[in-house]
Amino acid sequence: MWLPVLALIIGLVLGFLSEIRIPVEYTNYLSIAVLAALDTLFGGIRAHMQGNFEDKVFISGFFFNILLAAGLAYLGVHLGIDLYLAAIFAFGVRLFNNIAVIRRLVISKWSKSRKNT
Amino acid sequence: MKPTGKYVFFSIIMLVTGFFLSYSYQITKKEAATHESNSQWKQEDGLRSDILSTQKTNRKLNGELKKIQLQIQKRENKLADQEKKSYNLVEDLKKMRKVVGSVKVKGPGIEVTLSDSSYVPDGDNPNNYIVHEEHIRSVIYEMLVSGAEAVAVNGQRISHSSYIACVGPVVSVDGNQYPAPFTITAIGDKSVLEKSLNLSVVSDLVNDGIDVRIATKDDITMDPYLSKEG
Repeated sequence: MWLPVLALIIGLVLGFLSEIRIPVEYTNYLSIAVLAALDTLFGGIRAHMQGNFEDKVFISGFFFNILLAAGLAYLGVHLGIDLYLAAIFAFGVRLFNNIAVIRRLVISKWSKSRKNT
Repeated sequence: MKPTGKYVFFSIIMLVTGFFLSYSYQITKKEAATHESNSQWKQEDGLRSDILSTQKTNRKLNGELKKIQLQIQKRENKLADQEKKSYNLVEDLKKMRKVVGSVKVKGPGIEVTLSDSSYVPDGDNPNNYIVHEEHIRSVIYEMLVSGAEAVAVNGQRISHSSYIACVGPVVSVDGNQYPAPFTITAIGDKSVLEKSLNLSVVSDLVNDGIDVRIATKDDITMDPYLSKEG
């Protein structure tokens, strides 16, 4: 159970310590990747709370979303269209949706437990 | 076995997410730093323009400096000219003083000794065999003509206003009487003086029955002429 938390801490430390400088034009990819990762994480949490969590879907979604977002951004750069905005928009909307669902679930759980007591 | 594999996958996902988060945070920080460098660049630009304006003023001042230096040079040249003039004047003055005899003179020269003839034939007028003032005068004139800077008779300087007169058996030079022999010294070019004297004066003197002795000297010192009349 503590392994994922430990991995998160290690990842944070690695990110802080890494001295790799990526060119400025790739920062868009990075932001999209961050968004995709967060979206998938919150989706996983929501699915876990709703009880329909499936690790295969979660894991494949994580990597697939990141790759898709990066590919979209790449295509956008080469076509001259800011397609990464579409990815950011989609991920942002989904992120908000997921967080709203999580909030509602938490509130309903909390009120239910209050009613019981 | 299955839950462990799930955790491993979760761990990988968390690792990647954490890495992304902190890495993008770091990148953003770095970008802020580059923005800072942007402001630094602005500052640099300001400094550069400052330098440019300073150089401009420097150039202007340089031009002024050149102008002023030119003026100074002109003035210095003028001054040098004046100095040269005054130097020439001093030089002239020195020469004049030497000629007039109011300074001590030292240098190479010639010494001419005129003495009365030791041999006077019987029945002849002994007056024809002694040194007269005109002999001395002719020697002095010849010396002056040949470029003598200072002349003295028996150690007394001859100046432009000196007089030489025959007073009986002695010769008076500016009131000081001297008997024969007379030593006439002159400072100047030795060889020129000697040659010019030998040209005609000496033979004339010898014809008048006078013993003439000429000696060149490397170092003659003459006291200044002190006129009795103040």
